[in-house]
Amino acid sequence: MLKRILSVIISAILITGLFAGCGEKEPMAPKLKVAALSSGYEETMPGMWQEICDAFTKKTGIETELILEKNLEDVIGASMQGGDYPDVVLLATGREAGLTEQLIKDKNLEELTDVLNMTIPGEKTKVKDKISGGFTESVATNPYADGKTYLMPMFYSPCGLFYNKGLFQEKGWKVPTTWDEMWELAEEAKKENIALFTYPTTGYFDSFFFSLMYAVGGPEFFNKVTNYENSVWETEEGKTFIDIVAKLASYTNKKTPSQANDQDFSKNQLMVMQNEALFMPNGTWVVGEMADAVAADGFEWGMTALPAVEKGGDAYAYTWMEQIWVPKGAENVKDAKTFISYMYSDEAAAIFAKRNAVQPIKNVSNFLNDENKLFYSVYENGAKAAIGNFAAYKSVAGLGNPADYFFAPINSLVSGNITKEQYVNDIVKATDQMRENLLNK
Amino acid sequence: MNKRKRQNIFIALCLAPATILFLIFMVSPTVDVFRMSFFERGAYSKTENYVGLQNFGVLLKDTRFIVACQNTIFLIVVVTVVTFALALFFAACLTREKVKGNNFFRIVFYIPNILSVVVISGVFSAIYDTKNGLLNSLASVFSGKTVSVLWKSEELVVISVAIALVWQAIGYYMVMYMASMSSIPESLYESAGLDGAGKMVQFFKITIPLIWTNIRTTLTFFIISTINMAFLFVKAMTSGGPNGSSEVVLSFMYSQKDAGLYGYSMAAGVVIFIFSFALSALVNKATKRETLQY
Repeated sequence: MLKRILSVIISAILITGLFAGCGEKEPMAPKLKVAALSSGYEETMPGMWQEICDAFTKKTGIETELILEKNLEDVIGASMQGGDYPDVVLLATGREAGLTEQLIKDKNLEELTDVLNMTIPGEKTKVKDKISGGFTESVATNPYADGKTYLMPMFYSPCGLFYNKGLFQEKGWKVPTTWDEMWELAEEAKKENIALFTYPTTGYFDSFFFSLMYAVGGPEFFNKVTNYENSVWETEEGKTFIDIVAKLASYTNKKTPSQANDQDFSKNQLMVMQNEALFMPNGTWVVGEMADAVAADGFEWGMTALPAVEKGGDAYAYTWMEQIWVPKGAENVKDAKTFISYMYSDEAAAIFAKRNAVQPIKNVSNFLNDENKLFYSVYENGAKAAIGNFAAYKSVAGLGNPADYFFAPINSLVSGNITKEQYVNDIVKATDQMRENLLNK
Repeated sequence: MNKRKRQNIFIALCLAPATILFLIFMVSPTVDVFRMSFFERGAYSKTENYVGLQNFGVLLKDTRFIVACQNTIFLIVVVTVVTFALALFFAACLTREKVKGNNFFRIVFYIPNILSVVVISGVFSAIYDTKNGLLNSLASVFSGKTVSVLWKSEELVVISVAIALVWQAIGYYMVMYMASMSSIPESLYESAGLDGAGKMVQFFKITIPLIWTNIRTTLTFFIISTINMAFLFVKAMTSGGPNGSSEVVLSFMYSQKDAGLYGYSMAAGVVIFIFSFALSALVNKATKRETLQY
């Protein structure tokens, strides 16, 4: 009898153990759940987002709960699948996991157009009057191109070609302003055993391609390509574009593709610092990222906009920016919007700027250090700002992302495994399908 | 209640926790994978569209998936054969021969197995470095000229991943084989030696047949672990590149989820599930022998 009782007790304990932790959560005062990607800015000097949240609470009295992760997609992605949504998320498009893109495609973002008309907490200005021009007009913030804003612009960085200024001074080379000068320089450098070009990974071609599209055919050409119009590759501009890409691939350091992965990309960046390649597409964050690397003697970072196609033509530098958004399913939409409007206050901008994270607001130059002033002055020196992205389309099985067709094959172009014609043909085939599935047809 | 009945209830209650856990965390997700593969849906959206077998139809025509399958099968075959041969060889050396520093080698071989994949991929990033890497530097020393093989280029990347996989797996299987080898009675070898059987004959006629059950088990392990480990290594070492040339089936499945095609990625999961099940069954069937007793 004793045995039997004992056995029942043991099994009961085991079974209840199963359901431990399934109990209901204690009721708590609803805090504003802020989820932010812990990116390079946060990593170089931790505490940025906590400081922002604390300052926000102090200003508005709204309590916050911060979720700060390097792999934010894995953390909030899982809980979002379970129906638990953060209220505000800082996570840009263009990341490998593509969480933001998926929410855009599924129309799962809260509309934020009214945030533009909100008054910044602690200030008298409205958000729309503080944000620099052009930042809330592209598909990066209005993904359905219907004039409605679903994502708000955050930290921006001019992207261009980074090079070793010291080497150019030493050799007496001039930074090319047209692609013809670029090819001349390539031959010159070849004699010194230096390749013209490298890239960290093919993902870095987004800024490069968008700038090049603008440089080749202006906004019109850019819109045609990013809306997947195929006739564009038959035109003069389309051919020039592909020619430049293919020629650049032929002048790329041959080691580049084998190191163009998340593990080894810094070896490609190092090539520029050690005079194995002249230029690479990158953003201002590379300076901090490579701060500890051993560079060649006399090395100094330089950045230039993409060369113009013809003499006197326009030079462009892509403006890379992150986005902040509110998922549909957020419980605290009102406070979330207040939080976003606070992002454009002087107070917040100053906290961000301490870590070189630069907000797209009109008076931002007040907060910049000297090195950053130099990079951000690229637009004052005549380069035009390129902004925008590929248009969103409905996911189709078997059809990848634009990056799979536009950027990734460049690895194969460099190693000579595909030809220019194959490259264009694959793009045409894929963009046919993308165009048919455009979200804003 | 008679004794037998009581006993049965006790057994059932003892088994209940494990069974319930297994049903909740293994069976139900697996069934769900099969169900979701017939739908078109994003990872974060609640709407599903039934598309029947369409996902599978597209999958079989998707060149990326075909490349991923080729790479996976290549890795399963090459990694299994090489690891199997080397692990058996080293195990035999360490158990049968009086090698000096026996324990030292055992530890050295086993160490890669306890390292995390991220560490291993860091180690191999240094080994494969084009300019200062271990492999290229060694080759340069012996050939007398600068060798700059691009180990992670499109042509070589899968082989490079295979080398890392073998390096990582040898120790584990070696220890497993050593355990069963050391239980073979010494007298068998002695009498074989008296009959004039050499080391090779002893190895193939005594050692291999007597550890056959163990070998069969490890073959199934090889298949399952290569499919899983290949994904981890590819993620950490190559990101599937250059241009998708080192993609394996699981990394393909993962990337489709990121592209917002949850149903499609589940279809890939179903194919992998059936493939690994079938392959394991096939290997099990093909290697069936009468168990030898000693």
